[in-house]
Amino acid sequence: MSNRILLVEDDERIRASMRLALEDEGYEVDEAGSGEVGLEHFADQPADVVLIDLMLPGIDGFECCRQLRRTSAVPVIMVTARNDTHDVVAGLEAGADDYVTKPFVAKELAARIRALLRRSRSVDTPDALSFGDVEVLPDEGTVRRAGTEVHCTRTEFRLLCELATNPGKVLSREQLLDRVWGYDYFGDGRLVDVHIRRLRTKIEADPANPRHILTVRGMGYKLAT
Amino acid sequence: MRGFRTRRVGPPGASPQRPHTRPRTRPWSNLGLRSRVTVTFGLGALALSATMAGVTYFTARQFILKERETAILRQAYVNASLARSSLRSVNPNITQLLASLDTVPGSRSVLELKGQWYATSISVGENAIPLSLRDLILSGTPATQHFVLGNTPQMGVGLPIPSVNASYFEVFSLDDLSRTLRILALALAGAALLTTVAGAVIGRWASGRALRPLAQVSRAAETVAGGSLNTRLLAEGDAELSALASSFNRMTDALQERIDHEVRFTADVSHELRSPLTTLATSLGVLESHRDELPPRSRHALDLLSTELHRFQRMVDDLLEISRVDTGSAELSLDEVEVGELARQAAAAGGAGDVPVDVDPAVAGLRLWVDKRRIERVVTNLVDNAEQYAGGVTRIAVEPGTGHGVRFVVVDRGPGVAPGERDRIFERFYRGQAAGQRGVTNGTGLGLSLVAEHVRLHGGRVWAESGAEGENRFVIELPAGNDNGTAPALAPDPARDAETRA
Repeated sequence: MSNRILLVEDDERIRASMRLALEDEGYEVDEAGSGEVGLEHFADQPADVVLIDLMLPGIDGFECCRQLRRTSAVPVIMVTARNDTHDVVAGLEAGADDYVTKPFVAKELAARIRALLRRSRSVDTPDALSFGDVEVLPDEGTVRRAGTEVHCTRTEFRLLCELATNPGKVLSREQLLDRVWGYDYFGDGRLVDVHIRRLRTKIEADPANPRHILTVRGMGYKLAT
Repeated sequence: MRGFRTRRVGPPGASPQRPHTRPRTRPWSNLGLRSRVTVTFGLGALALSATMAGVTYFTARQFILKERETAILRQAYVNASLARSSLRSVNPNITQLLASLDTVPGSRSVLELKGQWYATSISVGENAIPLSLRDLILSGTPATQHFVLGNTPQMGVGLPIPSVNASYFEVFSLDDLSRTLRILALALAGAALLTTVAGAVIGRWASGRALRPLAQVSRAAETVAGGSLNTRLLAEGDAELSALASSFNRMTDALQERIDHEVRFTADVSHELRSPLTTLATSLGVLESHRDELPPRSRHALDLLSTELHRFQRMVDDLLEISRVDTGSAELSLDEVEVGELARQAAAAGGAGDVPVDVDPAVAGLRLWVDKRRIERVVTNLVDNAEQYAGGVTRIAVEPGTGHGVRFVVVDRGPGVAPGERDRIFERFYRGQAAGQRGVTNGTGLGLSLVAEHVRLHGGRVWAESGAEGENRFVIELPAGNDNGTAPALAPDPARDAETRA
């Protein structure tokens, strides 16, 4: 069965052209002209990947992504008109897994979608990992903190697994981009930074003073047990 | 500090109109306003105090001289009448007479009696008295005369005593008087000098005080020029100064407004252009993936479309990038990368993946904090430029630079850029001689100027030089961070800033 992509974009022509391009790549495409319609549509017919444009009439892309995140861990790609740090970081903080900048090359977008879909499949890691009061269960795809389940997106989960399988070892942003996002050089370090920050708010007692996911300045990140 | 000078600035494209003759610069106007006020105050004080001193000196001199002359004449008359009564006696003792005369220190008497000369002092005798005075007295006229005797000023008084056929002379030394006047002159000159210096000091202080608001305006203008447009002057109590402050603030407000407007415009243009471009690029991608199904003529048309769309896209990107640099909203997104890896990846991204990359062992393994996207654009633009004008890139080298810097050198086939054009090719829309020879260009006219901007944002330098065989060497020198791997101080790290915000 082919993968289903939900396209939330207000420009009808961009939507039409993207549908053509994505259908060529073998995906089934659903369209939504606004954030509200997109959310409704997703509730009826969940997709495997959601593409959200940042500039939307009504609720904007950030809000749309935040609302989507309340109910689902579906991979989300933000489509921004600008490569400015502010937009990119805000989009990632709203819960997006990745972003592309307009005008993008359809092939590049397709590659990112493929990488995201690969990521959402199972992870080959040991049965269970634990540090502090956090338990990671790769088989079930769940994380528990002090016994209660923590909701993570699939990217966050992969990132946590990557850190947890290498406790005490410093992983550079490039290594994490490569292993979690499946990008080599072309990934953006901001992806890692924002996801680490999001993970901290979920599993750290005090996200401002993390005790498990530590920044090693100039090197990368490491997990302290 | 100079006085205000307003200068009209033409529109950016127009060349400024230069006056045919340079205004003659007088040395006076080369001095700063403050120095001029200081000099004026000093000269004023000098003129005033010199006049006062002169008037004081001459009045005092006149008065003292008159007093002394009166005293001298009185004594001379007394002595002359004493001599007369003494000489009237039957057998006068001249030596006794001279010894009995009333004298003050420094006064000496000389008596002429029937052609014979008698004196109280050995040094002052008949010859000490000027001939003109002697002749006048001997002819029967009383007179006084000032003269110099052995370097000291003297006053001689001569009184004929016809009743006894004698003449009485008395010579007074004015040495003490001239010493007093010298001291007075010295004291007055010293006072004038002090007044002059005090005048200059007051002038300097007062002009400093008066110009302090100007200095504030100048500092504020400098910070505005440095890019912080939210600089404002405080309107103080003084009416004139607050007018200046409010005009200055109005100017910065207007400036801020214009720049905000431009930034908004850039953002709007960005969004408006990117939407149709996205549709175009995506649809073109679809067409390209079905290229084999198209008839040859359509395929050709598709290729043309694809080339031009690619160029158009780059032009829009370049324009947006450059306007972002212009409005100061360009941000660096730094990552740490090994120099060889950076060069290879940037070459690959720039379409020169098959070009050899030579890394000098001295810098191999060195890691730099850079905005990878920008460095990719730099290399891409240099590769495009080489393909356009110089037969493509032959080699990319990574070499040690000056200090802790690293050089990335992009070498092409030539022909070399003319020496006179080497700086100008980094200007926007500059088309050199090489460009003029091409019928078709793929360049946007912004490529090399963006290279310069990107490199400058990294705190580095870029220049073109000529190689041994006429090839061009475009050299990018980037500063390396500290040994502990932190980013160069001048480059902000937005990702990290964002992290500390959380």
